[in-house]
Amino acid sequence: MTRPFILSASVAEPAFAVPGHARAVLQAAEAAGFDLLMLGRSGERPFDAQVLVAWAAPMTSTLGVVATVPASKAHPFHVARALSAVDFLAAGRTGWSVVPEGAPEGMAEDMVGAARALWDGWGSDTLILDKTSGRYLDASKVKASNYKGAFFKVAGPVNAMRPPLGHPLLVVDGDDPIAIDDADIALVSDGTAAPQATKRLIKVGADADAAMLAERFEAREIDGAHFTLNDALTQLPQIGARLASLLAPRPAGDLRARLGLPIPSTASNQPGGAVIPEIA
Amino acid sequence: MMQNQIHLWAFLQGIGFFPTGWKHERARPEGVFHMDYYTRVAQLAEQGRFDAIVFGDQLQSRGAGGRAPERLAMPTLDPVTLLTAMAAVTKHIGLVATVSTTYNSPEMLAERFGTMERITGGRSGWNIVTTAHPDTAPNFGETELPPKDARYRNAVEVVARACELWAEMDREGPELPQGRPVLVQAGQSPDGRDFAARTAEAIFCPAATIQAGVDFRTDLRSRVAGVGRSPDGVRIMPGLSCVLGGTEEEARAEHTATLDLADDALAIEYLSESLCCDLTGFDPLGQIPVDEILAKTLLPQGDVARSIVPGAEKGTPLGEFAANFMRHPRGHNVFIGTPEQMADMMIEWRDAGACDGFTLQPSYMPGGLEDFVGQVVPILQARGRLRTDYPGATLRETLGLPAREAVTA
Repeated sequence: MTRPFILSASVAEPAFAVPGHARAVLQAAEAAGFDLLMLGRSGERPFDAQVLVAWAAPMTSTLGVVATVPASKAHPFHVARALSAVDFLAAGRTGWSVVPEGAPEGMAEDMVGAARALWDGWGSDTLILDKTSGRYLDASKVKASNYKGAFFKVAGPVNAMRPPLGHPLLVVDGDDPIAIDDADIALVSDGTAAPQATKRLIKVGADADAAMLAERFEAREIDGAHFTLNDALTQLPQIGARLASLLAPRPAGDLRARLGLPIPSTASNQPGGAVIPEIA
Repeated sequence: MMQNQIHLWAFLQGIGFFPTGWKHERARPEGVFHMDYYTRVAQLAEQGRFDAIVFGDQLQSRGAGGRAPERLAMPTLDPVTLLTAMAAVTKHIGLVATVSTTYNSPEMLAERFGTMERITGGRSGWNIVTTAHPDTAPNFGETELPPKDARYRNAVEVVARACELWAEMDREGPELPQGRPVLVQAGQSPDGRDFAARTAEAIFCPAATIQAGVDFRTDLRSRVAGVGRSPDGVRIMPGLSCVLGGTEEEARAEHTATLDLADDALAIEYLSESLCCDLTGFDPLGQIPVDEILAKTLLPQGDVARSIVPGAEKGTPLGEFAANFMRHPRGHNVFIGTPEQMADMMIEWRDAGACDGFTLQPSYMPGGLEDFVGQVVPILQARGRLRTDYPGATLRETLGLPAREAVTA
């Protein structure tokens, strides 16, 4: 497939928790061709992004919705459950970004490890749903992860399925990085060390030059751009119009298929996401 | 205002009230993993003019002794997520999520429900639970649950602190339309009832008979008055499941057929879960392994002994005992009959003071909810006992409660 130029933005306006405004922003992001909308960012989380991605799921059809998760004000058992549910409702269009925000060193990484272990406690082919044989699932595919980290000890299995994406896309912000070397997406700034990730998005201002971005994309320095918005309703259409020439049609499918992002082989003991059997 | 209006809540966790419900021909077990199912049932409940949709919750995976069941519907997806998504596809219906005070900090709860309250436009509710299942503790780095009285003491503090945080959020804006979520409770013990009386604006309870409903509601209302609150500010909503038919005989046949969808293996998995002891390796035709169960269960041994010893002394085989156990309706009212009879029963309970309304637990989903909304709701509306439109925008208005009420924790 053609390598996609990934278009991403973050919103952290308190008004995004109000339905009328949130609806307008989500529609603007989809209309402008954005691939990812991150709710909140490090140091600016005026809402619980895990709740708002749930509301966004039925409001959108192609946009990837990314929840910021505060490492010190969340628990991996709850996070794994919430993001699993959102990923089902959004049919595989979710991401998450654990923000340290001054949490003790290692806590954000522990959050990532624990949630991944819980998602991996369910096989992608666990569900059977056969009314005739009476088998709802294959119990041999459900395992206690017995995760033991420095901050979180989580036995499992989690009371939630493996998500359709396997794991939601993990986004790491280079300006408040966590020590994970197999993230899906890194948000990087010029002149700072970039976190390891499958795709790198350059953090730019709303007036970033399309020709410059195209050049760096062609040179494979970057895989796309990330905009830190402060007036989303005005900025989203402007950015979309200016960068329209960079945006090629995406293949159908979930967010990993659209953006060419398999689960990092180090991140999971299985490559696929949950499959829900079709019932005749 | 209509006389003795009946409030309706829909309890929609999983695929229905009956453990066999997912196997019913009109059940959609795959639906609970797709948004279109939640859109369908949320709009159906709104069409039936329900006050609210409630999802229960557990913080452990189903099973016993480390084995997941193969024949019971699981897992349970996160209720706040499901309900918030349902808010996006509805306009009026309230959305009540079950969340634990033992395994969430007040800050986490305040942020979660404060955001839910804003994005739902004032339709959020919190079913406050303290979490009672022993398998939960290891998911949060602990070996065992705190004792019950400590859990309730903590719950009082957590709710009070969360209310302070919501007041701050409301002042800072954007406003919380109801000030805070509607507070809901389901405790049965004296500790639980006292907590509910101080805190809750709506209460679930099991009530198998009209007398049990009258007793519970009378007791709760006197406890509410005892802490200086108005008993009319609390909605008491006993659980109600149903199997409907064109005639009583048809309904009975349908009830039997639904229960008969269970085989021994399903019933034994259900019993294993209920007793916290894996019995799937035992012969269904053999004796109930009482000593094994009492040695392995994580539940209070006395409670477990009371439920199994009488059967064991009669020599009931394990499979038969499990089948009977599963057929027992867990203390809830299971109505079997015609839609007219069901409406009559509901009106009788309401007029007798046995409830303010009902928490409907459809026997399987979505067929059970479709039947109730299509067949019973129009009768209640025609008799002037169920609203035909919503009175306002927020859940508090829907419940007929003051726009805002401060907690007296």
